[in-house]
Amino acid sequence: MLSANDLLLVGVGLGVKLLLMPAYHSTDFEVHRNWLALTHSLPMRLWYYEARSEWTLDYPPFFAWFEWALSQAARLWDARIVDVNNLGYAAPSCVTFQRLTVIGSELVLLWALWRAVRLAGGSVSARTAAVLGFLSPGLVFVDHVHFQYNGFLLGLLVLSLTLAMEGRDLLSGVVFAVLLCFKHIFMYIAPAYFVYLLRHYCVVYRPRRRLDVGASAARLLALAMAVVLVFGVVLGPFVALGQGPQLLARLFPFKRGLCHAYWAPNAWALYSLADRVLVVIARLRGTHYAASAAAAATRGLIGDSVFAVLPAVPPLATFVATLAAQLPAIALLVLRPCSPVRFVQAVVLCAYASFLFGWHVHEKAVLLILVPLGLLLVAGPTRRALRMFAVAAVSGYYSLLPLLFGVQELPIKATVLLIWVLCALVLLKSTGSGTSAWQCLSALERAYIVGHVPLFVLTEITPASLFARLPFLPLAMVSTYTALGLVYSWAGLIFEYLC
Amino acid sequence: MAPKTRAQTRLKAETKATASTAFTVPVDSWFQFLENQSAQEIALPVSLLFAILVRWCISLHGYSGMGNPPMFGDYEAQRHWMEITTHLPPSKWYSYDLKYWGLDYPPLTAFQSWACGYIASLINPAWVALGRSRGIETHASKLFMRATVLALDLAIYVPAVVLFFRLKLVSVSWAARQASIFTVLLQPCLLLIDHGHFQYNSVMLGFLMWAVYFAAREHYVAMAIAFCCALMFKQMALYYAPTIFFFLLAKCFQRRHGFVLFVKLGLAVIATFSVMLLPWIQSRSQLEQILVRVFPVARGLYEDKVANVWCAVNVAVKLRSIFETKYLLRLATAATSLAFAPSCIHLFIVVRRYAGKQPAETRANVLRLLNYSLVNSSLAFFLFSFQVHEKSILLPLAPALLLINDESWAVNWFVQVALFSMYPLLFKDGLNVPYAVLAVGWSVLRSCPVCPADRQTPRIVFVLQWLTTLAMVALHAAHAFVLPPKALPDIYIVLNVIFSCMMFVMFLVYFNYRQFTLLSRSSKEKAQLGKQKSE
Repeated sequence: MLSANDLLLVGVGLGVKLLLMPAYHSTDFEVHRNWLALTHSLPMRLWYYEARSEWTLDYPPFFAWFEWALSQAARLWDARIVDVNNLGYAAPSCVTFQRLTVIGSELVLLWALWRAVRLAGGSVSARTAAVLGFLSPGLVFVDHVHFQYNGFLLGLLVLSLTLAMEGRDLLSGVVFAVLLCFKHIFMYIAPAYFVYLLRHYCVVYRPRRRLDVGASAARLLALAMAVVLVFGVVLGPFVALGQGPQLLARLFPFKRGLCHAYWAPNAWALYSLADRVLVVIARLRGTHYAASAAAAATRGLIGDSVFAVLPAVPPLATFVATLAAQLPAIALLVLRPCSPVRFVQAVVLCAYASFLFGWHVHEKAVLLILVPLGLLLVAGPTRRALRMFAVAAVSGYYSLLPLLFGVQELPIKATVLLIWVLCALVLLKSTGSGTSAWQCLSALERAYIVGHVPLFVLTEITPASLFARLPFLPLAMVSTYTALGLVYSWAGLIFEYLC
Repeated sequence: MAPKTRAQTRLKAETKATASTAFTVPVDSWFQFLENQSAQEIALPVSLLFAILVRWCISLHGYSGMGNPPMFGDYEAQRHWMEITTHLPPSKWYSYDLKYWGLDYPPLTAFQSWACGYIASLINPAWVALGRSRGIETHASKLFMRATVLALDLAIYVPAVVLFFRLKLVSVSWAARQASIFTVLLQPCLLLIDHGHFQYNSVMLGFLMWAVYFAAREHYVAMAIAFCCALMFKQMALYYAPTIFFFLLAKCFQRRHGFVLFVKLGLAVIATFSVMLLPWIQSRSQLEQILVRVFPVARGLYEDKVANVWCAVNVAVKLRSIFETKYLLRLATAATSLAFAPSCIHLFIVVRRYAGKQPAETRANVLRLLNYSLVNSSLAFFLFSFQVHEKSILLPLAPALLLINDESWAVNWFVQVALFSMYPLLFKDGLNVPYAVLAVGWSVLRSCPVCPADRQTPRIVFVLQWLTTLAMVALHAAHAFVLPPKALPDIYIVLNVIFSCMMFVMFLVYFNYRQFTLLSRSSKEKAQLGKQKSE
């Protein structure tokens, strides 16, 4: 279904990813190497207790099994990779191996997108959207440079969503359950799955809108059995060993702060900014504020997020805010006629809500919004959906740039992002009128998108010494500016989907 | 022909080209896609950004002499020149501690080193501290060195390529034109040597492309100056000198004001050389020292294994032990002259014949002849001259790439073989991954073995190219998996040299043949076109 040209582009992307192998990798590289080593060298019952490295296993068991499978190949490639005492091992052979596992496992995403294109009839616009989705700069930055397996995990998500669009609800639910057992962060979108599967799969009507209780109960039972089976297979052995509490403690470490070291561009970044602004006002007016907190924040110690004027935000408040923000997504599924496309839209909104209001959100979580949003483009976007995608994608992908902070990566992030944005703005077309994303955008939106260029000059190229007195400023500018775009497109998408 | 009608015929020819060769090489399909999506405006920016991205990605990998004291490699040589030029007066540049990478390129390279060294000393003086910085390989200093190559490449090579292919002398479709720019910017051999191995060849080759561009625009004085810059950057540009000389000489003969042009050219050349040599011009001994450094005759017929005739012949006949260096130099010079003479004389005769203002078609043909002759002359030098390095295959490649629209399959094949011939060097530098990516990338995007749709390719060439590709893959596989026999430890390198040399000799013959038959070919095509029109 993908044309020769599409395969060529994917191949070119593959070439760039291979060339990027010696680029910077974060501590996540050692995290995954350590997991390879510990799953290979230790019996399963010790996986969640092993603590020789500070990077203990904190993903659910399927991911551990995934690492275990990879470690079988790793042993043949270079046995030192899987030595659990060989902490910090990053020889070229190890780097090559781990990079290749990322590149290889990412093919799940390609396969899932290919299915989506086939479902959409294989039109040019669907194929373009799929290729742009696969060659997302976010995946290049986070997976192929920073080092993670998002391409693989999001591939499973897209696969699950595509199965839902194909009408195979039960399978979709099973794939999602599997995905949850790979990485539990996807729980954020579970409400959309729950409501959709309940309404679209479990509830069966007889003619004249009368509930078919027997059939509905059977389907509910089937779904429940399938999900329980998946969780049972994954979690059962550990629970049987009496490791349930240990597993939970590893998977949900609630000791971290509200904002990650670098602020994800979400509502809390704007909240922090408001606090800073209020501090300035308080200083001018001579009213009281918590001086120590303000000083800590000015020094850039934002790991712990203390506020000087505004009240502190407890985890419970973020939890409530997230649930409240997910209400539009649930409303979409409950109030409107239920359709697979609506479901994907609800997933996007759920991911959006948790990104904007969640506790200790990583900037990387923006991929959870942008990849399903890209999938909706394969199905064919309206003009407004395309506009909102353009704004969200530019600001969301831009917000990932601080992740790669080295000078060496500067040309890479600039060129990769620019190439993708140029292609996306010109090649993505709305259905019907066939106007390109750039043509759809309003003047303000265009100005906002172009505004990332001076932002780049200011925060990436300007020497850091200029900000010696305000070291947090460059990062704060990035998270604030990109948060504006993300919040704007969130509002726009809610309007688009609900009205 | 009036300009308007000429434009019209060109337009017709362009649409024709689009229609008849809808799919030539795979890389075209991307640009055709952009055209169909009416997204032409992003084609060039995306190509340029991608060219930067690939260059920088290659530069993440190894370089010549990385972590290999005490002498390191070409990377350290270039850095060392920055060190001595920023700290010593020009009078010492060509004589300072010659055993440790003494400067052996002409003055423009020295000035470039000085400028880069000056910037380096502003950022971090430790990178170029005299004596103490030897072998410095910190992450930041490496980034700086890589950035200088990228900046000079972008400043000189890239604009020349873009401008050349935007000249509308040849009637090719928009997509093919864009594809040519993309291809020439991403030519793997140059990228791997400059941004991987570490050199500044793109400056010299960029100046050559500027010279060709000026020739196309009929600015002959500018052409001469650009070529002098190439020559003053790397003496290897001498490989082109016979062609440039005969071309400009012919221009002097053909014009009504030929003598004026002759004087202008002479003055321009003398002025350029004088400016470049200004720091040393007062002292004869210093000028001699530069000459001795730049032309190291004493270093012998060849050093490393290189795919030229002398090295290949050496497998059977040990020339270096039979003859003295003196005689070998004469032999090499005579052979080289014989090899480039036919092409240059033909160029001289044909270019001289066209006097006065010419139709676009003739101008395009003259430009093609110039490029053919540049390929032939530099390939002759590569195969037969004294002291050739394996990297010098870049010189014939540059003008050949300018012919990519006329010689699609030959140029693709040529690049494939040239890249293969540099494999031993790139392997030593730890550039396996970029080599593999770019070799496969070139073969898939550009080359014909995977692209049977190219109807222009003769069947015999198609088969031959497949066979040579298989041979190259087989040699790589053998090198990777089979240990060489103890008696012949260099067997794979020697096989590489013999294979590549044979191919290069074949390309020399082929490009000469194409140069000599260009005019008859072109008139035949014209007649055919006329016939079609009348029908």
